[in-house]
Amino acid sequence: MIAVEGLTKVYGHRTALDAVSFEVPKGEIFGFVGPNGAGKTTTLRILAALLEPTAGRAFVDGADVIQHPDLVHDRLGYMPDFFGVYDQLTATEYLDFYAACYQIPRARRKKIAADLLELVGLADRHNQPVDTLSRGLKQRLCLARALVHDPAVLLLDEPASGLDPRARVEMREILKELQRMGKTIVISSHILPELTELCSMVGIIDQGRMRATGPVHDVIRGLTSGRRLRIMVLGQREEALATLKGLSSIRTVDIINGAIEAQYEGDDTTAASILQALTAAGVRVSGFSQLDGGLEDAFLKATSEDVG
Amino acid sequence: MNRVAIAVWNPIVAKEYRSRMRTWRSPVAMTVYILLLGGLGWAIFSAMAASARSVFNGSPANYGQALFLYLVLFQMVLLAFITPALTAGAISSEREHQTIDLLFVTKLPSFSILWGKLLASMSFVLLLLLLSVPLFSLVFLFGGIELDQVLAAFLVTAVAALTLGVIGIACSTAFRRTLPATVAAYGASFILLAGSLLYGLLFPTAIDPNATAAPAPPAVSYISPLLPLVTIGTSQPVTWYGIGSGFSSGAGGGMMCSGTPGGAQSCVPLNANGVAIGKGVATPFYRNPPQATGTVIPSGLFAGWQYWQATVTLQLLISLAALVLSAILIPPTRHLPWARRTRAARSA
Repeated sequence: MIAVEGLTKVYGHRTALDAVSFEVPKGEIFGFVGPNGAGKTTTLRILAALLEPTAGRAFVDGADVIQHPDLVHDRLGYMPDFFGVYDQLTATEYLDFYAACYQIPRARRKKIAADLLELVGLADRHNQPVDTLSRGLKQRLCLARALVHDPAVLLLDEPASGLDPRARVEMREILKELQRMGKTIVISSHILPELTELCSMVGIIDQGRMRATGPVHDVIRGLTSGRRLRIMVLGQREEALATLKGLSSIRTVDIINGAIEAQYEGDDTTAASILQALTAAGVRVSGFSQLDGGLEDAFLKATSEDVG
Repeated sequence: MNRVAIAVWNPIVAKEYRSRMRTWRSPVAMTVYILLLGGLGWAIFSAMAASARSVFNGSPANYGQALFLYLVLFQMVLLAFITPALTAGAISSEREHQTIDLLFVTKLPSFSILWGKLLASMSFVLLLLLLSVPLFSLVFLFGGIELDQVLAAFLVTAVAALTLGVIGIACSTAFRRTLPATVAAYGASFILLAGSLLYGLLFPTAIDPNATAAPAPPAVSYISPLLPLVTIGTSQPVTWYGIGSGFSSGAGGGMMCSGTPGGAQSCVPLNANGVAIGKGVATPFYRNPPQATGTVIPSGLFAGWQYWQATVTLQLLISLAALVLSAILIPPTRHLPWARRTRAARSA
């Protein structure tokens, strides 16, 4: 659905993007992760045909962003990292205005505006001036705006920044609903935990270079060395430590806050074997859980490496 | 909707109307405009009435003509202050509020954004002009002014306001911020109104003693709407402005003329120091330069045109140039045909 090939953007002497490539298949939620200034917004602006790349190509639903910006605009909804609301317009008028900009006939605009306000949970505020809405509500209205022409692809630049936890959860629910509707979504963010939960794919970018890209779990596995277990035992800590140290799959064992944390090499089967070994040794295990270092670890690892 | 309807009534126009008329600023602006114009009219009328009481020096028709002249000139100056303020922020404020990207990703062509902004601002100017119509109709009570004069004056004013508006939009597109755009728009508006007149004062048309037609001010000065407005208001030829006093253009010189009791006039050329060239005061004699009659431009580039026709033509040309410039400057990515070709070749 989205294909980016060797995208490069140079501003004067500064290279904002350096041969960035990735692909997002249809129906996926792609998390675009990177520290501030890594090139996320530049990439999204090029995808939205708002910026010309210095080199490389990008396609949205088969349309080249340089050759056919009109087709791209037709297939893509873009939500930048700012609200962009006008004064003196109500929520319905705001959506109606953008629907008119997409040349949607007047007869259909009213229903579209009502449906979208319903989708983002603003139906009861349809008559409220947009500049008086709270941050979270403005953000939702902007999401509705990006959807007025029913695009197949959504580009969301930092949709969760500045939102309180509740608003973030609500935004996440809306995005999941959109995924169910078959939309392909690209989200840039530096708030990682929620991306792990929401995204099916992820791309980690730093200093204009793509450090890792692919399905979330592959990226995490590829970047974090080994997995971690938290084990709680009833009294027999020494036996447990001895048993764990005797296993070949265990790499390190630590005691953190009274619980044993063990790093191991392997998959879920290995984890089950470790539990079996502990019980076989007579250790009474009261808690056994996988610690998902997750995207945060992967991100820190990817961005700290000097992939020069 | 067909293409024309979309171009004329694009969503920007509707949105601008809504947001403009929902603020308190618009009714206040209209009220202040009418009060200023009406106040000036009343002041001029009072002054004329007072002088008429002391000395009998004119007919009501002269009142009408004078009142009309002052009103059209003042209206033009007022609009020169209002129009740049309306348009100089049109594009730059969208940039500042970061809403312009949201318009660029829609199917709206970037020229429609310009056009919509221009149409919306110009409608407000047109509204102000319409508001002043009842005030101008009072002039007819005194007489001395024909309907075609009023129409011509309004046309010149409207076209001049349009030009100022397009220049404001061009400044707004060229400058990223509203403040420099506004300064530039006012600068351009001053040059258009006064700078072009100043040109006529600095570089007046030299009188050619052998010319068959009367001299006219230099063509650059026709850009100013003030010149045709005065011509329309007074119905007099322009003899008081933009015409040199001698035939040696620029470097001093001039002409010394002396009248004879019979009404004939004889002139002798002077050198840069004001000393008569030639042996006697009476010799050599030069033929009188022809005198302009009526409100037609007697000579030069626009010979045979009315002053207002020349002004309207020049202003429309300037508007067109400014509009083309804005259209080139506005898109986020410039898709000039040759640029696209090189890019396609590079990526292939």
